[in-house]
Amino acid sequence: MLLLCGSGTAVVVPRLASSAASVRLSAAEVRGRRSAVFSREQARQRSLYPRTEKIEVTLQIPGLQGTLLVMNKGLSTPHSCARHLTEWYVTSSALALVDGKPWSLHQPLTQSCSLSLLTFKDTDPLLVNQAYWRSCAALLGQVLQDAFKEDFSVELLSLPEVLVTSGAFCCDVVLDPQLDAWNPSEESLRSLTRGAQQLIHRDLPWEPLEVAPPVALEVFSHSRCKQKEVEEKSAQSPKGTVILYRCGDHVLLSGGPLVARTGLCSQYEVTAIHPLGEGKWGLHRRAQGLSLPLQQQAHHTVWRKLRSRAEKLVEVPTGSTNEAISDTLTLPSAPEQTPPHTPQQ
Amino acid sequence: MRLTIQMLISHGRVARKMGLGPESRINMLRNILTGLVRHERIETTRGRADEVRFYAEKLIDYAKKGDTDEKAMKMANFWLTEKDLIPKLFKVLAPRFETQPKAYTRMARIPNRENLDKAAMAVLEYKGNPFPPLQTAKRDNELTLINQLLKGYREQRAQQAAAKVEA
Repeated sequence: MLLLCGSGTAVVVPRLASSAASVRLSAAEVRGRRSAVFSREQARQRSLYPRTEKIEVTLQIPGLQGTLLVMNKGLSTPHSCARHLTEWYVTSSALALVDGKPWSLHQPLTQSCSLSLLTFKDTDPLLVNQAYWRSCAALLGQVLQDAFKEDFSVELLSLPEVLVTSGAFCCDVVLDPQLDAWNPSEESLRSLTRGAQQLIHRDLPWEPLEVAPPVALEVFSHSRCKQKEVEEKSAQSPKGTVILYRCGDHVLLSGGPLVARTGLCSQYEVTAIHPLGEGKWGLHRRAQGLSLPLQQQAHHTVWRKLRSRAEKLVEVPTGSTNEAISDTLTLPSAPEQTPPHTPQQ
Repeated sequence: MRLTIQMLISHGRVARKMGLGPESRINMLRNILTGLVRHERIETTRGRADEVRFYAEKLIDYAKKGDTDEKAMKMANFWLTEKDLIPKLFKVLAPRFETQPKAYTRMARIPNRENLDKAAMAVLEYKGNPFPPLQTAKRDNELTLINQLLKGYREQRAQQAAAKVEA
């Protein structure tokens, strides 16, 4: 895919964050292993329901209030509930609300509940917007992991929770030390964008899986910083579990629910990669991008203005990983802070 | 005259015929205009509403000159058949549109009349009337993704402008 080489030296650099692995694995092999562990765990969780038990799902959709669907326990997802309705519900719904809690469209339902499907054009699309922003950042991380050659390691740090009003979604990444002097040119940003567009075209679903911390640690056994992130997330979550998402053959962590499929994005551009300075794992970089969904496309004049804003560095308030963000966001050129934005849950 | 097909096709003739002739047309328009000034929102056929619009706006332009103006008073006197509306025109309608240069009226089409003729109807009103709005401007929800991005963009521009003013 991407062909770039900053220095072109043939120095063997020890892999960034491998603690137990003494064998140097290629990125593709690591991905394959993670995907295999994910599939294994997914099959195991599905086998917990050997006999099909039925659950009753009440729909809370405008126009279909109170409709009762009889679905399978542990197997049916909100996506399958939507398929019982019309095609429009399948294509337009991005997130589901199960008993008032945000729920990924492809996560199986485990008990009788009330379901409502959220789209981008609701009266209150705050949850959907935030989930979309997170999904675009996850996609960016996936593109960055795929983009570089096998010799260069790419370490994805956590996806910071950014408000939609800040103008761009971010993905913190640490590249191989050989690439410390590399700065992305317009050509490389454009080829990253093309990679993202290819993923969008393939319309891959984001499959969620709720796992116990040991399994998650096994998935990320080759990456020390990911393991730390798993520990942090499991400490924060009320049940002690961690939700993993798989898209294609990439497994990733996220701070909250993601939207249903990559095909929901239509306009997607990687706008900039800013160096943040030396951090714990090396030179931290922030990759930023801008995206709009299929139902909310912008005219090219509007898109150009938003894109020029997305190229500027977005500052992230430290220590905000929950969904209920109430911190202020400081923009680089602003003398005063923007007012706090509290989305409803 | 020759009864040709060209008589049936207008071939660019834009002047509308109403009533029995040009004088009848002006009288009809005068009546409709008087009704508009009295009630500020009226319902007529589409063709008549479209014709009256021009005269309604010209009348406001004359009224803006003030009631001491000779020509303005003559115009108002001619066009308003009910003479108690002349003070209303100069004292209520003209000051209302002081800041606007043009476009004092709004026309909205409504379903056809229920009578046998099924005429295409329209509602004509002066802007700023005390009635509830005819059609609310369909604004996309403020909280959608694209509107939130644009809101952030506008705020940033405002802050940059403020910073420039300070510096």
